[in-house]
Amino acid sequence: MKSITRFVILLALWELLGDFHLVAQGALPSPSAVIMQWWQDRAVYPQHIWATLQPALLGFVIGNLFAAAAAFTFVLVPAFEGLMRGFNIAVFGIPPIALSPVLVITLPGEWPQIVLASVSVYFPTMVMTLLGLRDIDPRPIDVVRTYGGGDFAVLRWLRARACVPGLLGGLRVAAPAAILGAILAEFGSGARWGLGSFLLGSLGRGNPARIWGIGLTATLMAAVAYALCALLGRRFSASLTSVTSASAKLHDPASRTAASRASQALLALAACGVPFLIWWGILEGFGVSPVIAKTPLAVWQYLFSAPDAADSRAAILQALKESLPPAGIGLLIALTVALSLAVMGMLWRALTAMLMPAALILQTMPLVALTPMIVLLFGRGIAATLIITVIVTFFPAFITIAQGLAQVPQASLDLLAVYGANRRQKLALVSLPMSLPYLCAAARLVAPASLLGVMIAEWLATGYGLGNLLNTARGELDYGMIWAVAFVAVAVSVGFYQLVKLLEDAVLRRYSAAAASG
Amino acid sequence: MMDGSAGKHPTDDLQVSGVTRTFKVGARQVYALREVSLQCDAGSFTALIGPSGCGKSTLLRSIAGLEQPDAGSVLIGGRTPQEKCRAGALGVAFQDSALLPWRSVRQNIALPLQVLRRKTPDANDKIDRLIDLVGLKGFENARPAQLSGGMRQRVAIARTLVTDPSVLLMDEPFGALDQILRRSMNIELQRIWMENRATTLLVTHGIDEALFLADRVVVMHRDPGRIAHIVDIPFARPRLPALFSAPEFHRLEDEVAAYLYAGATA
Repeated sequence: MKSITRFVILLALWELLGDFHLVAQGALPSPSAVIMQWWQDRAVYPQHIWATLQPALLGFVIGNLFAAAAAFTFVLVPAFEGLMRGFNIAVFGIPPIALSPVLVITLPGEWPQIVLASVSVYFPTMVMTLLGLRDIDPRPIDVVRTYGGGDFAVLRWLRARACVPGLLGGLRVAAPAAILGAILAEFGSGARWGLGSFLLGSLGRGNPARIWGIGLTATLMAAVAYALCALLGRRFSASLTSVTSASAKLHDPASRTAASRASQALLALAACGVPFLIWWGILEGFGVSPVIAKTPLAVWQYLFSAPDAADSRAAILQALKESLPPAGIGLLIALTVALSLAVMGMLWRALTAMLMPAALILQTMPLVALTPMIVLLFGRGIAATLIITVIVTFFPAFITIAQGLAQVPQASLDLLAVYGANRRQKLALVSLPMSLPYLCAAARLVAPASLLGVMIAEWLATGYGLGNLLNTARGELDYGMIWAVAFVAVAVSVGFYQLVKLLEDAVLRRYSAAAASG
Repeated sequence: MMDGSAGKHPTDDLQVSGVTRTFKVGARQVYALREVSLQCDAGSFTALIGPSGCGKSTLLRSIAGLEQPDAGSVLIGGRTPQEKCRAGALGVAFQDSALLPWRSVRQNIALPLQVLRRKTPDANDKIDRLIDLVGLKGFENARPAQLSGGMRQRVAIARTLVTDPSVLLMDEPFGALDQILRRSMNIELQRIWMENRATTLLVTHGIDEALFLADRVVVMHRDPGRIAHIVDIPFARPRLPALFSAPEFHRLEDEVAAYLYAGATA
């Protein structure tokens, strides 16, 4: 009841702000204006929605099938996971917006949307399924082994069932991602229908109410997809409350295969090569014209040996100089705010209770829908870019950190309570150090998202940086530049991820060493 | 019961010869077991007792084929543990019931049959009989989360019996239960065992539990893990709860304790 009252008050406030053009000269339309515009556009919405939803659904199914198959294979053949590590991180790090023009120029029909949706879906489902398959109670494994069961029997009788909650959790994250992927692929596809096309077409029309309507529709679709998967998850995992406690590991278990140092180095090297091989193989396999489709070698030539290679390099470097600072700063701000809010939430429980549902819903918000609204509110400058980046990264970071703070064992807190510790002392002595791994994980998880946020803002609004370079290259049919920017964006994103991962490893090593000796 | 006659159930003897198992802790090599030999007759009940780290669980896991000893051999009825595992001749129970949370009591008991790909038409009747035997009638379709700790442990014991094992291996099966529940489970285990007479190896921390159930108590010491002493328990079966307070029971308890603490001072 309380939350409904709060919602109504918020809505009324928004209505007033909108009706009297109090924010940025009417850039924030009132809810009634948005709904009225939506009603006027009602004839075209079903077609736009269907044009986005259908490829999103297809991509969701395809991507999840790949993800589940990959996770099962990784469990049976751990070396294969090592080999595919580079591919997995690249898929995770790809800013979908960088891949979008590349897909649009190489694939026919709806396939860019379908592929981008499945790429967006692959990583969350794969990781969560793998975690579910791996992180099982070791004691039933002993039981199966005593009856002569091998790896396959363990997979069949234990892991396959135990991974279901993880798999469903992955689907929950993947569902909004599929919709976002499908929308992003409409950028630059020139397609007539689809919410992304509708949004792009409406940007220059000076009709904030319509833009808000499209954005809210996309958000609602993502939220419904999320809720449906969450419902499915609750349905299936209700009976799965573990009888024994099996601790979840946040750290990715890539380094588990015990092998000699030399063969590990070889595997790592091969893992770096695999993404390029797949890139090459797909282009060869589909027989796309080399004028349009650039192989890794062609991109190398474009950047280093073509006649105007120096100009291309200069353009990309300039774009990087413009894009990287807001991505880094935005990430830092988001992490700081997320940590402070999560900590404050520890001290005042009501704050978490209020923020958590909002965060869970808002993290499903497709940021394409968000960007035009923020641009309307904050203009086309650096502020808009920063705010978009912060919003994109804040919610997942906050959820991860808050979960970390919540899982601190009660016994440790009770121990301090016995000595009369107050909340602040509990926080400083136990909660914060114990949730450090979660802070690190949050940083690693949202690092690629920060670049995505910056690029979307640049593409749609600011006219700077990598996003803008990609957009202009697309307009000028400069295929070499499209591929080069896409490659650089992925490389930067993966580099960002690896950098944070190195930091994380260093922090965790000290942390666990301190825990062992202390 | 010393004749070891098996009735309708098959039994196997256990031959552990010179089993050694080492672990690396940093640069140091630790002997979890050093040249341990033990012989258990078919149909006998043996208890392993000793301080933490004396290798009793490692010994049990080696017999179950869950660990490979560095040296020495384990033979069950003349076969390797792996062969016996595939034949479904072993039953194991751990301190944790190791039940699958998503399966009902009945489905949990059926798991070994599924792993062994044994499809017998009378499996359902048999599972019902076992549920009856461990006193869980009416809970056939309950899930582990709905059961108490003692009930879960009974399900685990029914599960170990479902394949008609010739050897029962139990690693502190009642270790997580309170003293009262533990004692009633001891009495029930004796009843169940007397019906089946499988060769049984029980790892335990409780001297009273070992004396009440076993024909022989094997006392182990640590660093390196080894067998220090074997005490024969002469009490006739069925043993009644009154035995727990009998003077000769206490005398034997003191004797075993003396052997146990002799190793702890080292």
